[in-house]
Amino acid sequence: MLTIQVIAEVWDKHLMTIRTIEHLQMFSIALTLSIIIGVSVGVLIYMRPKTADTVLNFLNIVETIPDLALIVLLLPVLKLGAGPTIAACVLYSILPIARNTYTGLKGVDAQYTYVASAIGLSSREALFRVRIPLSLPLIAGGIRIALVFCMGVVTLGGLVAAGGLGTVLQNGVQLYQKDAILVAGLWTGLLAVLLDGFAGIIEKKLQERYGTW
Amino acid sequence: MQNRRLFDRIESIKFKGITKKYGPVYAVKDLDLEVRGGELLILIGPSGSGKTTALRMMNRMIDQDTGSVTINGLDTRDVDPVRLRRNMGYVIQNIGLFPHMTIGENIGLVPKLEGWDKKKIHQRVSNLLDFVSLPPDIFMKRYPRQLSGGQQQRVGLARAMATDPPLFLMDEPFGALDPILRKQLQKEFLKIKNEINRTIIFVTHDIEEALVLGDRIAIMDQGQLVQVGPPEELIFNPASELVSDIVDNQRKYKHMDTLKVKDLMSAYEDKYALDGKTEVCDAVEEMTKRDLETAFVFDGHELLGQVTMVDLMKCRVKAQKLADLARPMKTFQPLDSVAFALSEMKKSGEYIAIVMDPNKPAGILVSDEVLLKLI
Repeated sequence: MLTIQVIAEVWDKHLMTIRTIEHLQMFSIALTLSIIIGVSVGVLIYMRPKTADTVLNFLNIVETIPDLALIVLLLPVLKLGAGPTIAACVLYSILPIARNTYTGLKGVDAQYTYVASAIGLSSREALFRVRIPLSLPLIAGGIRIALVFCMGVVTLGGLVAAGGLGTVLQNGVQLYQKDAILVAGLWTGLLAVLLDGFAGIIEKKLQERYGTW
Repeated sequence: MQNRRLFDRIESIKFKGITKKYGPVYAVKDLDLEVRGGELLILIGPSGSGKTTALRMMNRMIDQDTGSVTINGLDTRDVDPVRLRRNMGYVIQNIGLFPHMTIGENIGLVPKLEGWDKKKIHQRVSNLLDFVSLPPDIFMKRYPRQLSGGQQQRVGLARAMATDPPLFLMDEPFGALDPILRKQLQKEFLKIKNEINRTIIFVTHDIEEALVLGDRIAIMDQGQLVQVGPPEELIFNPASELVSDIVDNQRKYKHMDTLKVKDLMSAYEDKYALDGKTEVCDAVEEMTKRDLETAFVFDGHELLGQVTMVDLMKCRVKAQKLADLARPMKTFQPLDSVAFALSEMKKSGEYIAIVMDPNKPAGILVSDEVLLKLI
C-alpha cells in the first residue's frame, strides 16, 4: 500500500524534489525551443507554399521514428545527458506546432486579409497584425499536442542519464522497487495532466480572444 | 515611414483605355472615365458589369492589362501599392473589422503603422467615433462582434477616415443592411460627405442609393461605360434602353394623386416595436441585437412615438424609460393619399412615419423611398 510514509520515504531516497526540477527544466527548455522553431517553420512554409508539402512530409517521417530509437540515434552526436532528450523532444514537437501554424495562417478568413491589404498594410504587417493573431488559437492547439509529447519523451530521458523523473523510474525498475516505480509514475502522470489542463485553459482563453465567429 | 502624402487634394482621376481580361472574358473593356475632384461619383451596373473591378484598379488591388489610371497626373503604377492605399480610405460591404482588435484599435491601426504617437491616435479615434455618432467612452474598448451591423458599418467608415485621406473608395458599403437602416445610414453619410468634402467613388447596384447620393452617376454594362452624368441627365436623356431601364424613368408618369399610402409603404415588422416601460440601457441592447437604428415605442397598443439609437446613446440617464424619450411621430391610414402624407412629413421635417390600420401598425412610410419610387 502507498501510505504517506512510503511516499515520503521514496521521495527522500530518490531525491525527487531535485528530479522534478530537472524534469521540468528539460521540459521547459524543450518546449520553448519547439515553439520558437515550430512557429518559425510554420510561418516560413506559409510564405513559401511550394516548400510546404516537402517540409511537412519530412517532419512526418521524423515523427514515425520511435522515440527511444531517436534518443539513441542522437546519443553519438550530443553525448550522454540532457542533450539528446531535449533534441528528441524538439524534433517531435516541430511537426504539430509547424503544421498548426501553417494551417492557421492559411485558414484566416479571406475577407480579413483582403481588407488588411486594401487599407494599406504591407504583407509583413498583415502577417504580424492580422494573420498570426487570428491563428493563435490553432497554434496554441499545436503547442498543447507538443506539450504532451515532450512530457513523455523527457521521462524516457532517464534511460540515457538525462536526469529528471525518468531516472527514478529507471532506478525503480533496475532495483525492483515497486514503490519507487509507482510514486514516480503517478507523479509524472499527474504533472502531465496538470500541465495539459493548464495549456487547455490558455488555449480556451486565446480562442475567446482571437477566435473568429 | 510613409508619412508624406501623395496628394492633399484630388484634382482629377483619369482612366484611359483601361482593359482587364480574365481568360477570354473582358471584366473591363476600353474604359475612359474622369472623376472630378470633390465629387461623389457612383459606379453602377448589373453584376459582372466591371464596376467593382474599375474601383479596385484605383488602389491597385487589381492591376489593369492595358491603359492607365492617373491621379492628379500621377500614374498609379509608379507608386508603391501600400503607399497608394494609405492615401485612400476604403470601405467595403462586409466591413471586415478585425475581430481580435477593439473598435479603437481597428480605427487606429493605419495611424499606428504610420507612426503616430498614442495620444494623437486616441484623440483622433475619439473624434471619429463622435463623428459617426458612436460615443467613444462606450465603444472604444468594445469588440466588433459586440456591435450591430449598422454600428459596425459606421466603424468601417471611421476607419476609412482615420488618416483623413483626400479620396474614398466605397464598395457597396450599405449593401448588406436592411432597407430602413440603409436609408438612415445614407442620410447620415450624406451629411458626413458634405462636411468632409472629399472625392468619393462609390460602387452600388441600388439605383435609389445612386440617385440620393451621387453627384454624377456612371452606368456600366459588360465592362464598358454606357453613360455618365448627373442624375437628372440620366433620367431625362438616357443614352440607351439599359440606362432608362436602370433609372426606371417610366415611373415618373405615374399619377401621384391616385396613389395611396398603402401602395408605397414598406412592410412593418414586429422587431421595430419596443415597450414604453423598457429602460434606455435595455433598449440599446435590444436594438443592437435586432439591428435597428430607429424603433417605435408602444404602450400596449398605443403608439407613443419613435426613438433612434443616436438619441438613446446621447441620453445620460440610463434608468430613464423609453416612454419619456419617445418623440411623437406622424401616423397615417393606409388609404390616405401619398401626396398628403408627404407634405405633412415635409412640414414637420420627419422622414419616417408609421401607417396604422386602424389601431395596429401596418407599414412604414420612408419619405426618400417614396420619392424614389415615384421617379
